[in-house]
Amino acid sequence: MSAPMEIVLSADSAGQLWNCAVLELHSGTNLLAYRGGNTSSRSLTVLNGEYILGAQLGKNFINVWEIQRKDQLQQKIVCPGIVTCLTASPNGLYLVAGIADAIYLWEVSSGNLLAILSRHYQDLTCLRFSDDSSHFISGGKDNLALVWSLASVVQLDPSHTPEPRHVLSRHSLPITDIHCGLMGPQARVATASLDQTVKLWELSSGEMLLSVLFDVGIMSVTLDPCEYYLFCGGSDGGIFQVSLCSQSLSRDKTFQSDNEGNQVFKGHRNLVTCLSVSMDGTLLLSGSHDETIRLWDIQSKQSVRSINHKGPVTNALIIPAPANMFLPDSRPGIPLPRFSRHLNPSEQGEGVETGGVCLRLAPHTQSVFGDGENTKVRVSELEEEVRTLKKVNKDLYDFSTQLLTKPS
Amino acid sequence: MSLCKKKRQDDFQKVKLKVGKTKPKADNATNINFRTKGINLTEQLKKDANAPTTHRKLNIKDLLSQLHHYSGTVKQGALVGLRELLTLHPSELDQHLSSLLSEAAAVFTDKDPNVRMSATRLLRFIAQSVPAERTSPFFPLLSAHLSCAMTHIETGIQEDALKVLDVLLDHYPALLAARPALLLNNFLELISHRSTGGGARKGQEGKGRSWALSVNPNRNVTGQQWRLTVLLRLGRFLQAVVEERRAEEGVACVSGDMFSVLNGQGGANAPLELNWEELTYRKGGFQVFEHSGAMPTPHSTFKLRPETEPGAGVSEGLGTGEAVRGFASTLVPLLLDVWVEASASDRSKTDSAHLLTPDAMSLMYQVLSILQLLRKLAPQREYQDTLDVWFRSEYLGDFKQHFMKNFPYGNLDTPKQRRKTDPKRSKQSTTIPGQTVEPLALNVLLCQVMVSMVTLSQREGQAQEPDAEWLMPLRGFVQETLSSGAKLSQRHLHTLLETVWRMVITQRSRAVTEDLLQAVYVQYQQMNLNLQTRTLLLSFYSRLYLQEHNHTHIARSRVLSRWLAALPLQLSQLGHRNPALSDRLLLSIQAAASRGNKALLNSLHTHACRLYDPQEGSVVLLPAESQQRLVQLLYFLPVMSQGLLANLSRCCTAGRVSAGLAASLIRIIHLRSSLSGWSVGSQDMTLRDVDYISFLFSTLTGFSSDELATLQEAGDESVLPPSPLSPLSLYPTPLEQFTHHWDVVEEVCHCLETLGSRSQCFDVLQNGICKNLTGLAVVPDSMAAGLLRAVARLLDLSFLPSEPLLRFLSRCCLSLLSLLLTLQQDTAVWGACVAVLSSIPRLLRLVLQSLRVKDLCEEELPQLAQILSLLLQHTALRNHMLANATLLQHIIQDLTRYCRGESKEQWMTDLLYCYSVTMATHRGNLGLRDIY
Repeated sequence: MSAPMEIVLSADSAGQLWNCAVLELHSGTNLLAYRGGNTSSRSLTVLNGEYILGAQLGKNFINVWEIQRKDQLQQKIVCPGIVTCLTASPNGLYLVAGIADAIYLWEVSSGNLLAILSRHYQDLTCLRFSDDSSHFISGGKDNLALVWSLASVVQLDPSHTPEPRHVLSRHSLPITDIHCGLMGPQARVATASLDQTVKLWELSSGEMLLSVLFDVGIMSVTLDPCEYYLFCGGSDGGIFQVSLCSQSLSRDKTFQSDNEGNQVFKGHRNLVTCLSVSMDGTLLLSGSHDETIRLWDIQSKQSVRSINHKGPVTNALIIPAPANMFLPDSRPGIPLPRFSRHLNPSEQGEGVETGGVCLRLAPHTQSVFGDGENTKVRVSELEEEVRTLKKVNKDLYDFSTQLLTKPS
Repeated sequence: MSLCKKKRQDDFQKVKLKVGKTKPKADNATNINFRTKGINLTEQLKKDANAPTTHRKLNIKDLLSQLHHYSGTVKQGALVGLRELLTLHPSELDQHLSSLLSEAAAVFTDKDPNVRMSATRLLRFIAQSVPAERTSPFFPLLSAHLSCAMTHIETGIQEDALKVLDVLLDHYPALLAARPALLLNNFLELISHRSTGGGARKGQEGKGRSWALSVNPNRNVTGQQWRLTVLLRLGRFLQAVVEERRAEEGVACVSGDMFSVLNGQGGANAPLELNWEELTYRKGGFQVFEHSGAMPTPHSTFKLRPETEPGAGVSEGLGTGEAVRGFASTLVPLLLDVWVEASASDRSKTDSAHLLTPDAMSLMYQVLSILQLLRKLAPQREYQDTLDVWFRSEYLGDFKQHFMKNFPYGNLDTPKQRRKTDPKRSKQSTTIPGQTVEPLALNVLLCQVMVSMVTLSQREGQAQEPDAEWLMPLRGFVQETLSSGAKLSQRHLHTLLETVWRMVITQRSRAVTEDLLQAVYVQYQQMNLNLQTRTLLLSFYSRLYLQEHNHTHIARSRVLSRWLAALPLQLSQLGHRNPALSDRLLLSIQAAASRGNKALLNSLHTHACRLYDPQEGSVVLLPAESQQRLVQLLYFLPVMSQGLLANLSRCCTAGRVSAGLAASLIRIIHLRSSLSGWSVGSQDMTLRDVDYISFLFSTLTGFSSDELATLQEAGDESVLPPSPLSPLSLYPTPLEQFTHHWDVVEEVCHCLETLGSRSQCFDVLQNGICKNLTGLAVVPDSMAAGLLRAVARLLDLSFLPSEPLLRFLSRCCLSLLSLLLTLQQDTAVWGACVAVLSSIPRLLRLVLQSLRVKDLCEEELPQLAQILSLLLQHTALRNHMLANATLLQHIIQDLTRYCRGESKEQWMTDLLYCYSVTMATHRGNLGLRDIY
């Protein structure tokens, strides 16, 4: 059997047999199981394809496994409080955790705690990165979702407290889940809340695009990769599918009675806590408090497979299979350092390094998408700018050489 | 020949003229004894059949061509005629709008003042009836003529141009504001002239002083009055520009509206609000991603480069911060000069400097309001801050010298009042409307302008020292005005609140904040405020509260927390009298509750029982949207007491909140309980499981014990009497209440299902029913149906229900079945009965056992037969019926015996048929089983 492309990573709160299991997406066979403890909800994450991190339920530490060593913890990151949510940036450089009402941001390469952001008023429920790691979104029980720009958060200026780029404050009950779409800073963000609504926002402007009111509180939300559909997991066990694009109804759709694309996946009997869509947009994974995870075929809205767990499911996600996962002899590319618990390690008197320059690289890559004509225009504009810059540079060079080589 | 000669002599006879005699008239003299009268052909004789005409029978083409006439009266007549024509035939306006506007605009610069006046009137008339979007193609022409008139060399034309401007400002402010550059220069030209040399008083940046005030002695008004009229127009124009910009950028960016939008979110593109039910049954889809999502919306904060090209300079308009600054650097010195001249002339009339004549006062008011508008002109928020800094660095000294020295100002007319802080008296003094300005308004505006000079940049203590000296009187004035207890008008209050806001944000001192907020609180506590004022004050506080996160001095303010703590009480006292205000209050409460504000939560806890009272609490009195907010507030309540839960249960069942809302209420309480699997966080275990389950149970029954007790004694009028076929007497609830209760029961069942162990849950339910309900003789039908539904949904197959419960349920079931026969409807109830009968075989047996044919009277026999045949027909029940075959056989035998030979009746044959079919299939099945 060749190595699977996509895998399902799931964890439940009982953790009797294992902490988190790895399943093959299409066959549902159990591939691996990582042991030790159990994981709290929305806190299982894969770092850089080399480590799996999961916050221990009700305790103040994070379990870390090397992805090829399922039986042994690599380390436990001890935190100042109970970790309620955790995520790693997709580029593997940063780790963000929600501890009580504060957000802790670590740099993975050094293990330094870069920032503690306490703008939420109550406990955090969810943290999500945008796919280019330039922004992250935090949702809390104070009804707020905050959009943070990573570059502004990690800056060194100690006097300047970082402010969120946008405050999304239109929910009236706690946020339960957040999904951030693709396309970096131009992504759409979906937030689910107990106030029975799911709202779709624009990341770049912080404006609300859409709000859908349901009959039940919504516990989880996700978008398919094309962002054609919005999937919302209800507190009564239904999964609601909202079609985000109008389809032309005239063509080849005459014989179906309810073909609007707004339909319900029925099968779970309790809160649907996690949702995830496969890369090709055909399979939907859902985890529920009724102690099962289910795989659904999106096109026909049928439950393809149901896998029982021993406790309420806390995490279930579909991820592309990391390369190292099935190679027991592999080693992670970079060793994980000790993560520090305090903001300034030098003040603690441990590992004092003086005279060193602390350099923080902010991944500030803004992808500029455009449609047809505009792209060309913009590309030519940028080329023009590069040319002028080169010319300025050359002038500067000429001037300085002239000045330096002057005979006097 | 001779004859001829003779005749010739006759012809040339000499006339002798003598002195003293009248001169004989010549033969060819003209008789001038007639009188002439001119005939003006103002109207045409023939009527033009094609086009509508005026009463002078002139059509529109004639009138337009007359506008080119050399005579002023003809032109004026044509303009009057046009106006008449257009009032009579409005359709003409649409056809000839372009030529009308161009011709009318051409006479703005006419030499004859009457013509200009008529042209203005015509323009006003057109403007009243044509919307802005239809004028927009002709607007460049109009504004060209307007600026031509404004810059005309004749003063009369200049003055009339301002009237034209008035018309345009009244009707097309947006169009006028769209290209402000040219007009702004015109305004400057009206009151000043560009000095050619660099003869500046101070060497400020070279171009800063290149304009100087001018006086034209030819005008028929004084220089000061002229400037006042120009400044008035300039103020209105800038106002239009500011509003235009606000419309472009959305409300949130502009501080002018800081209190009107609470959440600060008013984007230009309104989000889609959808409902799941609508969505499911909707025919067409909806589109979220315009241009397939590749382009960001214009509100995106990511910008590759500024959209306007730099380098275009001031002439570009007021689009950029630099342009505004350039314009301000020209205008502000002029304004200062205007004021200095005016105050100097004013000073000569009076000895005390803080008393002003009405003229000077209105001039100063205009100057200040233009300064205020200049601030708002900055295109974006960050520019506004830099502009403030720039103002401070450039003009603070001047402002302090000219404006602050004699603050606060008073009116000269009543010189005894030193300070005009009492609005009642100052209102009396405003005799002439329009031109005069109240001293209060002036002082308030001055406060606003000066406070905007205090910039955020200086956070260190020592930098504030120089400011404190001139801020002191301002603060004193604001405090005194607010706390004097007098009622302020909406506008003044708004300005004052903005001033307070700015002071609080910039001063960062707790004592100052406390004093100012206290002063505002005095206003807030006044009785009889109208809704707008109340809302204004409310949103001031709530915005202030929302700002607290980066201002510790605000967060610790005692006034603010006192205000918050008073909100729940106010809400409960307000009742249903003012839903709009209640909604505002709720918004603030919700914001504070979601932040976990201790003071508010405690106060909410004390007033919770009143707010959620099922009879007169806010939760039942307010409109649906506020009800929803109140329900959502439950999530944040620190402690759920038993009394509160009892109230809430009554709210759910009483039907004064909608079924959907009741369902979400139950769901929120479910989330609060520790059994739901959702951790509320720090406030765990504030809802005890016992209380929660008793809440669910009492909501399930839908009737309080008192109500049930009164039902038992109600007598026979309202309830259906018991009979052998319906052992319980049922109380028929209205259909509306029944469906409401049914929906609530569904939700409660769902909550109970997810509680955890099913058998334990059912055990609790069974205990509840046995203890509280089994003794009842009169039962509401909604309750009976609800109980059956709940039992059917919750029963675990491994669990054996107790005997008393089953007996009670069998009575309920039988009563309901016989009720259903009479009603012939309600499949839901029928479904519930069947479900419970099929899930508990023992129950079916009990029901069948209780059917004693010999107790029945004649009329009830057909009913019994119908019930039996219905039960037999139901496939889910068939097997269970077969299990009781002997019992069934007995009943049918009894039936045939008791119906005294009339066995040919329809119901009897139906029943027998059903019975035989059921038995036959059963035997068939058995037979098949034997074969295999």
